[in-house]
This record gives sequence, C-alpha cells and structure tokens, in this order.
Amino acid sequence: MRTFAAAFGFQLTTMRRSIGDFQPLITAPFFTVIFLAITEHAGRTDLAPYAVLAPTLIALWGMALNVAGELIDSERWSGTLEALIATPSSFASIITGRIAAVTTISLLAFVESWLVAWAVFGITVPIEHPLEFGTTLAATAFAMAGTASMMSAVFVLARSARIFQNSLSYPFYVLGGVLVPVALLPGWLEPLSRVVFLSWSADLMRDSLTVGSVPAAALRLLAILGLGMLGQLTGVLLLRRVLVRVRTLGTLTYA
Amino acid sequence: MTSAVAAVSVRDLHRTFAIGKGLRKTGPKVTALDGVDLAIPAGEVHGLLGPNGAGKTTLCKVLSTVLLPTSGTAEIMGHDVTRETAAVRPLIGIVFGGERGLYSRLSARQNLAFWAALYGLDKRRARARSDELIDRVGLTDQAAQPVEGFSRGMKQRLHLARGLIGDPKVLLLDEPTTGMDPVAARDFRTLVGELRSEGRTVLLTTHDMAEAEAVCDRVSLIDNGRLLATERPATLGTWISRFERIDARDVPQALLNEVAAMQGVAATNVGEAGSVRIETTESGAAAAVLQRLVSGGVTSVATSLPSLEEVYLHVIGDRGMTVQR
Repeated sequence: MRTFAAAFGFQLTTMRRSIGDFQPLITAPFFTVIFLAITEHAGRTDLAPYAVLAPTLIALWGMALNVAGELIDSERWSGTLEALIATPSSFASIITGRIAAVTTISLLAFVESWLVAWAVFGITVPIEHPLEFGTTLAATAFAMAGTASMMSAVFVLARSARIFQNSLSYPFYVLGGVLVPVALLPGWLEPLSRVVFLSWSADLMRDSLTVGSVPAAALRLLAILGLGMLGQLTGVLLLRRVLVRVRTLGTLTYA
Repeated sequence: MTSAVAAVSVRDLHRTFAIGKGLRKTGPKVTALDGVDLAIPAGEVHGLLGPNGAGKTTLCKVLSTVLLPTSGTAEIMGHDVTRETAAVRPLIGIVFGGERGLYSRLSARQNLAFWAALYGLDKRRARARSDELIDRVGLTDQAAQPVEGFSRGMKQRLHLARGLIGDPKVLLLDEPTTGMDPVAARDFRTLVGELRSEGRTVLLTTHDMAEAEAVCDRVSLIDNGRLLATERPATLGTWISRFERIDARDVPQALLNEVAAMQGVAATNVGEAGSVRIETTESGAAAAVLQRLVSGGVTSVATSLPSLEEVYLHVIGDRGMTVQR
C-alpha cells in the first residue's frame, strides 16, 4: 500500500510539471461547448446531460490512453525502467498507483464540463441520483485504471505505440456509447459494445443524471466492476508476462 | 573481506542475445557473457575492466535482476538473482552510467524521495536519507532544482545517491564516473573508500585504469564475455611482469641486435636521441636483458613495471576502438 501511495503521489508531482499530460482536460471544455451548441441548436435541451457527460468520458479515456498507457514505455525511454524493476517494490503496484492518479485527475473533466454548461449556456445539469452517479464514476475510474494497465503492458511490446493509441480513441468513443447511446447504434454493434465497460458507464451515468428511476443500477454497476476487475487482472498478468519477456530478451531499455 | 558466503557469486554464467526485430527476435545470436566465474567476498571493492562490448554492463544487469541469464547461476549474498529476486533486490543498489535514468522534470530531492519510498522508507526517513545522500554527493545547493538543468557530472552524482538510497549491502556501479570532472571523480573515489569502510561490497565497471587501481581491492579483466584474469591491481602488474620493459640509452646497434634475439624479448623500439625501449614477454627475460646491457657497457638503463593500462592492452590486445562481437 505504501508503494501504491508513493506512486500515486509521485504521479501527481510529475504531472504538475508536465502540462501536456493535461491535454484531455484542456480540450474537455471545448468538446462541451461543441456538443451543447449542437443540442441547443436542435432544441434538444433534454440532451444536455449527454453533452456534459461525453467530454468527461472522452477525457477519462484520453488520459488513460495517452498518459497512463504510456507510463511503462516512457520509463523505458527515460532509462528508469531497469532501476524501477530492480527495487524491492512490486512493479504492478507502482504502475497501478500511478495509473490511479491519472484516472483520478481525469475525473475533473466532469466538473469542467458542468461549469462550462452553466457559465457559457446557462444550463445547470442536475445530478438527479447522486449516489448512483458517484458510485458509477468511481467504478468507471477503477475500470479505466484496469484498461490502462492492460494498455500500458501492451505498449511495451509495441514499437509504434502511437499507432495503437490513435486507433483506440474514436472507435471506442462510438463503441462505448460516449455521446450516442449504444441502444441507438446498429444492433450488431451492441454485443461488441457490451464488452467495453465504457458503454455500461455511459448509460448508467446518463440515467443517474436524468429524472426518473435508474433501472437495474446495481447490476449495471456490477457489470462495470466486473469488466474493470477483468481489465485489472489481465493488466497484472500481462505486466508479469511482459516483464519476464523483456528480461529474457534484454529489451528493458528500448522499445 | 572474510565471509562464508560471497557477496557476489557467479558460476559459468552465459548470456546470449538474439538480434532482429519483432517479439521473437529469431536473428543470429550474439554472446555477451561466455562462461563467467566470479566470486567477490563481502566488503570488497571489485573492478571490472574491459573495452566496449566486453560484457561488463550485461553482467551488472544480470546481477541486478533486470536481465535473465541464458544459463549458469548468479547469487547475491547467497540468493539466486533469477529465482529469488524478492530477496536480492533489497540487498542491491544499482548505478547505470549515462545521462538517463532520472526524472528530469523533478528536483534531486523529489527524485530521491520517490526512490526511497520504493525501498520501503516512510516519508520522514525518506526525507532524511535523501538529504543525507544529497549532502554526501555534494548537491545540497542544487537539491531543489529540476534535474534537467544538471550537468552530466551532477546527474552522475545523483545516480550515485539513488544507488545508495536503499542502504544496499552490494552496490553495482556501471561506469559511475562517466562525465565527471577530475575533482568530482576524486571525490567519488573517496566515497567508494567510505563505502568500503562501511562494509559494503562494490562491483565497479570502468574503462579508467587509474580509477580501478585507485579504488579497487581486486580487478577482473573481461573481454568478449570471458573473464581473463582476476587479481589485485598491484599483483596484476606483477603477475604480468613478463611484460616488463627496459628503457636504455646509447645502446650499440650490434648489442641491440643481440638483445633483440634473446629469449623472451618481443620488441626493441628505437626512440629519439638514442633511446630504446625493450619489451619482454617472459618472466625473467628483463633480468637477462638488463644483465647483458650492463655487461655490454650501457650505463643509462632502467626497468619498469607496466601500468594496469598496459596490462589491459597486453591481455586484451591493442585493438583500439574496435568492438568485437
């Protein structure tokens, strides 16, 4: 736990000196303006929660992909990976702690989007079901961290990590139902969407922002946590295998 | 220097690398370590001397658990570096040379605080240990500055501090003085002396013969992945006394020809103003040459033992910058 906490704090300190890491948080307000401008122009004020939520999920995914996903690879390029691995601390704990910090920070995007909606469009998006919303947000951050650790391990093996990163952004925004609910996508996409935790998160968060009951909230929350746990486990296992592989091949210091 | 269990023990260690792209790397294999045997008792400062590509860094990486050997065994304080990494890692500190290996946007203190946490130190102890080491490596005035503004030598000092942060029993220093100015390098030697007096074991790889002679209890010569010799620096010079040389002046040509033909004489190199250096390759040859020169009427004559650098060149071969693979 000490390693996790130290890694969490270290990541916050590192990011304070690296403004580029906040790019998804910088673009989130712009996305909010664009989405809200569209819904307002169409006279669909009922879709305001969708427009506020989408930039949050984009920022969450974007930071996980670009910052958390690159963690191991950037350690490798900066020449610190060997020394990290040679410490008595669990490497998985170090990476998980740092990814958790990135994911936590990315949740600020919701605050940004909410404030932009209020300040620019005079729209106040009420959180109708705060308990459901809060727990879904936390579960989503957990699941995102699991996915990020998985990506982080995969990127170690890939010489062209950025090619993977680019292909993992917009297709997942669609599959995750980030702006357009999965139910409105072609039917054949739904099974695929349902293995992406983001689709459960997006639907549940939208429901918890709107009036009316939130059907099967616990079950849907479990789906997010289950997929998140699967991601975490896969990430840890993958990380272990990757470390054995790079120690065997002698490729810890370059991609 | 006396311990039942060697601090570092390496037996028949092999490491090969496959060249090529992709995950499987199925290209031709390159041998980095070829049956290395080495035992370093606790408390010894051991030098590993060899040219580029000799296998020094590979050996350090295997010992520091970040690289798996192809075959053979390596142990730190009796713990196998492949199977008992959890036991090995708290015992070792590593310093890999070069500018990389630090978090450049963070200060020296922040860097050390993080590494301290990874060695299990709580915040208070991490802070105290970091400050102590920063002071020890002479970076107190720069402790709060981002590392990206550090000179190469300053980074190297910080590397050293990082290597010591976990209070290691065995310190692996891979070319630690690279980029240091002479004053810093002298301070480093003093520091190594202190580490020895604290009972730590140090394995130091270097190109610098003077450094090896100055700080090491024993030195191993390594080339092409094989250990060629392990001796005390002074003994190494004596051990190779067959390479003793004789400097003389005004040696008649006939006598020089006679000496050149003597058993154990490798070369007679005529220099400026009648000087000549006679290189020998056999133990005792120098004495015979000396005797012959004196009996031949040569009065300006002197013998000298080779420096470690000359030993190094004799054993490894004078191949300049060529990296053998």
